[in-house]
Amino acid sequence: MKPFVVMDCVLLTRMSGLPEAASLRELRERLAVCGENVLYHHFYETLLRPSFDYPDYHNDFAVWAKLQLADQVLAERFGVLDPYAFASMEELRGVMLDIVDDRLNSLPYAPSVAKGAEFYFFEATTVVFDTDVRICAPEELASAIVRMTTGSIFFHFIEARRREPLAVDDFSAWLVQFGDKGSAFIEALRTIDFSFLTLAELRDEIHSQLTAPGI
Amino acid sequence: MEKALQMYEAFAGSSTIRQLRMLGRRLEGKRIVQVNSTREGGGVAEILAWMVPLMRDLGIDASWEVISGAQDFYAVTKAIHNGLQGFPVSISQKGWATYHATNTANAETLRPSLEDADIVVIHDPQPAPLLQLCEGRRGKWVWRAHIDISHPYLPVWKTLRPIVKGYDASIFSMPQFALPLPHPQYLIAPSIDPLSEKNRDLPAEELEAVRAEFGLDPARPLLVQISRFDRFKDPLGVIDAYRLVKRVQPVQLVLAGGGATDDPEGAEVLEEVMAAAKGDPDIHVLLLPPDAHRTVNALQRLADVVIQKSLREGFGLTVTEGLWKGKPVIGGNAGGIRRQIVDYHTGFLVSTPEGAAHRIRFLLYHREKMKAMGEKAREFVRENFLLTRHLREYFILFHSILSGSNEPRIYV
Repeated sequence: MKPFVVMDCVLLTRMSGLPEAASLRELRERLAVCGENVLYHHFYETLLRPSFDYPDYHNDFAVWAKLQLADQVLAERFGVLDPYAFASMEELRGVMLDIVDDRLNSLPYAPSVAKGAEFYFFEATTVVFDTDVRICAPEELASAIVRMTTGSIFFHFIEARRREPLAVDDFSAWLVQFGDKGSAFIEALRTIDFSFLTLAELRDEIHSQLTAPGI
Repeated sequence: MEKALQMYEAFAGSSTIRQLRMLGRRLEGKRIVQVNSTREGGGVAEILAWMVPLMRDLGIDASWEVISGAQDFYAVTKAIHNGLQGFPVSISQKGWATYHATNTANAETLRPSLEDADIVVIHDPQPAPLLQLCEGRRGKWVWRAHIDISHPYLPVWKTLRPIVKGYDASIFSMPQFALPLPHPQYLIAPSIDPLSEKNRDLPAEELEAVRAEFGLDPARPLLVQISRFDRFKDPLGVIDAYRLVKRVQPVQLVLAGGGATDDPEGAEVLEEVMAAAKGDPDIHVLLLPPDAHRTVNALQRLADVVIQKSLREGFGLTVTEGLWKGKPVIGGNAGGIRRQIVDYHTGFLVSTPEGAAHRIRFLLYHREKMKAMGEKAREFVRENFLLTRHLREYFILFHSILSGSNEPRIYV
């Protein structure tokens, strides 16, 4: 049986090179041309940033629409987008553009923001490294989870869904090799809705699901 | 005694320390040189004072060099500094010549170390020309801008841009501070060292001794602003705010700061502040020596409200220091302070002396809210602004530029 290799990842934000957007029209222009890494960062990697409290939305576009553009309708439409439901970043981009176009068409003006409240387009450099930790059996997984950094949780449970096998977290992909013994754990992991959890809470939730009675 | 990473586990947690060790191990033996213009005074020197020893503790061959110059050099670099922050300044041909000549002289001494380094980090504009003066460099060079250069006085930026554009990467504290440059621009916020003399816990007797030393009344609320005597820190605006509060509350004000060796304007501003405070025994203007870290620490802890009413600010470390001590901070709605203070949660952002006075009065009246905000403030710093996060981001940057890859994901 192959051991589970625990990786960790850390992220550093950098400017994307795109000018900031000071209005909804400018946001649309930049969304149409920004790199996939930019979209990825603002949709997926926001979880890696420490948050002060529970944000209303997990993607930066929805947060900006709410707090800076003061457009609640747009914020709600952006906010409900589940990035993991899209087959590709291009598909996600297309939906974003449709939402903005629809909003621009329905408003008598293009909303804009005050100086200092512009949307900045970032991307990130992520460094991934082996922690030297190995998990050899499904029963060891729960205790290993509590010692993992939030970076490891992000890499194996969330970011993994974008790697082959698609839409599957790394823990579940590894547990498959253990047959029936692994299936119970996979089922437990499948019940987790991570949409409204911080990474630290997600770590606790994974642990609690893996140690629930009957597993 | 040099600081060791292990000493921070109590503040940052064991997984954070383990993560840093992993990242640091992969940089073992790399020669990393950081250069700035002062060994003491100012936030940059404070950051380098902990960062370099911690890198060494992880096996990295890290060092810190300081360029030196005469008074006319610092006068020019202060003007450049002000110009980059948008203040109209006049720098003569002779001034720019002094800037380049001083860097040329420093390059003579530093060249072997800089040209041999794997990574050189140059802090702020003072030593920026060293890049062009080290033609035999083999490593990657990074320019770290600690100030807000988003709206520079153009004649200054036009002269400086050709100098900094040759770097392999630059670092800014916030996206709003950056200007387009033809290389990757990373975002790294500064941080504080919870074990430094300025931030560590102090015994109650020491706090009382400082209170007595400066004649502060324990029975009346204390407002404290710690900063250099610099117009951008708006000490006169703080006095205005204090006077507005004093109409209804018997408060005291401490304006305390040191003079950095690279800031010749400080004496002039100090005189203006002394003149404004004249005749009011409850305004305490303190010019502290650069090593008065424990005094600063004590004053922040004695404060009921910490103020940093800057008009322009790169990243005010004194804001983070105040928050770490469990104090809500009233900060100028400018630059990095916007990111350090979560408005209504860990303090208030204000734009005028009137706004500052209003918030001070609110906090002094709602003591329970003030306490709750202070507790939140400390946790916010723990999550975001301790040196462990700062060090991790430098390591990511180093891995990224040493890899020579522009890929978003790097496996090390």
